[in-house]
Amino acid sequence: MPPINQGSAKLLHISEILYLSFIVLSFCLLIASRTGEAHTVWQVLHPAFIPTLFVTTFLLLTILFASEKTTHKLLFIIAHSVLLHSLFSIIFPGGDLSGQQMVLGSTRRVFDNTFPLGLSKLPTSAIPVFIFEMLKGTNLQAALTTIFARMLSIDILYVHLFYIPVLWGVFVPIASFLTTKAIGGSEKVSVLSSLLVSAFPYTIYFGAISVPNSLGFIFSFYSLYFMLKYLSSNDSKTAYCIAVFSFFSFLSHYLTGVMSFSLLLLALSFKAYASEKGSSVTAKISLMVSFLFSASLLPISFIYLGFFGPYAKSVFTLDKLYELPLEEIVGLSLLGELIYSFDLKTIFLLTVGPVLAFLYMIYQLYSLKRNPTAKLRANVYFLFAAFLIVLIDYRILKLFMSGLPLNEERLWVFQDFIAAQFAILAIYAVFVSLETFLKAKYLPFKTLVSLKTLSKGNVLCVLSLLLASNILIPALLGGWITFSLSVAYPQVAPLQTTWYELKTVKYIDENTAEKYVVIGDVWTVFAGERFVGIHNPRAYYFGEYDKTGYDLFFNMTQNPSPQWMLLAMNYSNTTVAYFIVTQSRLGAEGFQNVVARAIQNKQLSVVIVPQVPFEKLYVFSYRKG
Amino acid sequence: MIKTKRTLRFNIVEKSIVQNKNFLYTIVSYSIIFVIFVNLISLRSPLIGLMTSVIYSMINSVFLGNAFFGRENAFFRLIFGVLLLIMLLGFVGWLIMTIYNLDVIRFTLVLIITTTLSSMSNRRMKHKNAAY
Repeated sequence: MPPINQGSAKLLHISEILYLSFIVLSFCLLIASRTGEAHTVWQVLHPAFIPTLFVTTFLLLTILFASEKTTHKLLFIIAHSVLLHSLFSIIFPGGDLSGQQMVLGSTRRVFDNTFPLGLSKLPTSAIPVFIFEMLKGTNLQAALTTIFARMLSIDILYVHLFYIPVLWGVFVPIASFLTTKAIGGSEKVSVLSSLLVSAFPYTIYFGAISVPNSLGFIFSFYSLYFMLKYLSSNDSKTAYCIAVFSFFSFLSHYLTGVMSFSLLLLALSFKAYASEKGSSVTAKISLMVSFLFSASLLPISFIYLGFFGPYAKSVFTLDKLYELPLEEIVGLSLLGELIYSFDLKTIFLLTVGPVLAFLYMIYQLYSLKRNPTAKLRANVYFLFAAFLIVLIDYRILKLFMSGLPLNEERLWVFQDFIAAQFAILAIYAVFVSLETFLKAKYLPFKTLVSLKTLSKGNVLCVLSLLLASNILIPALLGGWITFSLSVAYPQVAPLQTTWYELKTVKYIDENTAEKYVVIGDVWTVFAGERFVGIHNPRAYYFGEYDKTGYDLFFNMTQNPSPQWMLLAMNYSNTTVAYFIVTQSRLGAEGFQNVVARAIQNKQLSVVIVPQVPFEKLYVFSYRKG
Repeated sequence: MIKTKRTLRFNIVEKSIVQNKNFLYTIVSYSIIFVIFVNLISLRSPLIGLMTSVIYSMINSVFLGNAFFGRENAFFRLIFGVLLLIMLLGFVGWLIMTIYNLDVIRFTLVLIITTTLSSMSNRRMKHKNAAY
């Protein structure tokens, strides 16, 4: 770190204080945007948030370009990263309406000690199913969130909502920093890469939802870093680190685990190849074979997943090639899902980073070819191969497979993790060339006063270069990161769990002494599982995809009568049944019709939930006997 | 000057935890577990929970960070220590949860096992370093 004079140090401190104030302001604006009834964050986000975020990011970039301690820079980036990933958790009282509330549904059961697993319940006839159930990512996440909630003595809902945004915000920028350093990036570039990883919309999104896949991504990013470290050192401890992080990645989520292990195989092959003195044909062939094997591991593993239970029926197929028109096939293989109903802005933001990174990788490979003794050569080659594996696997899953248990776009997070390092290396290379050019041409003119001696054209040139290197690049990067938010957080979504749905399910739970069952639509189920979990024998909510629950709700809306409620009580072995209908979900007309018919049926009693108006929601109950 | 003092203070605390004379910090960690347990079954105060969790995490992260990433600088040692602690808590918790469940008693057991393993790793590495 070069020594800085007092004036610069003072300016730096002012920027840091300003930056921290803007971070606090941004969090306050998010809290001010908190709402109990909205579809997307954009509907309710405070109008000052985006400009504030842009200024915050710009300030952060000026600090990153200045001579500050790396650890301090990383701490500032961590604060920024946590902010970017907290929009769902702060704005919506129940978090985003995605897979995360289902995960919370099963975690709640662990927290309430009504978890149905345990070796004592081992079904001897279905050991593969048990293994699958045990290794499911939700288990590790449930264990972790339960432990945190008990340690902090707070409800699991809050831990669940902030658990991934905080972990991701802290650990992903650090992993990005370490990875960039491992491929030869300077301290400054590595710090910038830890910020730039937030410019990729998929990484922002997965860092904002508390699902096992996100946890798996964090571990696999560290496993990737240790692979690079393993390639450039002879420390045996690094190999253990890769194994441990890959195992945790697998324990967190199947996709990240298999991906980590396939990259691990590739890293081992690279190491073996590098240890051979002369690069013989056999060594090259074995490296090629291991590349192909690593690339095919993920698609093949999806086929074998079916062995562990009826969860996935993935198959290789050529149906898509036969059925889809040629232009769609070409579009899918080039841009993937982006060809469907995405605008140009979204396509640009999602592809600019990876394309920039890919081009820079090719440039680096070209440079390294002329310099075979270069240090960290293997690391760049390895990351390029890993990047290719992700590209190939995505296309295989997208075009040649069907029945996958997850959407293929999740692989883009791996692509972004690798791309972030090379994208920033490319940007920094441009920045450095500008600076070198400036220094070489105008070195004697260090002060603005000395510019007087230059011709008008040269003054303009110096000033524009200064503007480009000191203002334009931070502004562009800041704008890119801010703009990525608009793509990362959905612009269209169903109505998020509302405050009155949450209040109602909480009220029912607090005021029902007996075992009860709730008949409601899928949105009610989502609200219910936040408080009591799914299939809880004390407070029974049908699963999100439970046909019985859906049929019972449908029958109740058609003919609200106790017979369906009795059926539900018998099914769930409970003594009280509730039927919940919501105006915003059924529509005004449908809601009024159902409510009118239910009120006419004198056997059903109306439950009054304090502060919840009848125009929004009705609860009916029926007691057995 | 202030920064250097702050860094030094952290280094002194870290060194003291790593040295763990007469198992002082291991005992502190067990005592913290007891406070967490009492808080969980009777007081239910998030403030106590937060304070005890921070102390517990700090001690055990330093143990683990030093045991496995002793060569990194203080910041990364702490970061890796926290990550390892999370992984260890998660793994022990996952194991106990799949064997039986994760009620308050077994949760306390998770914390005890984690502290014991962290302290043992730290001690083992200390002896290893002393041998060189």
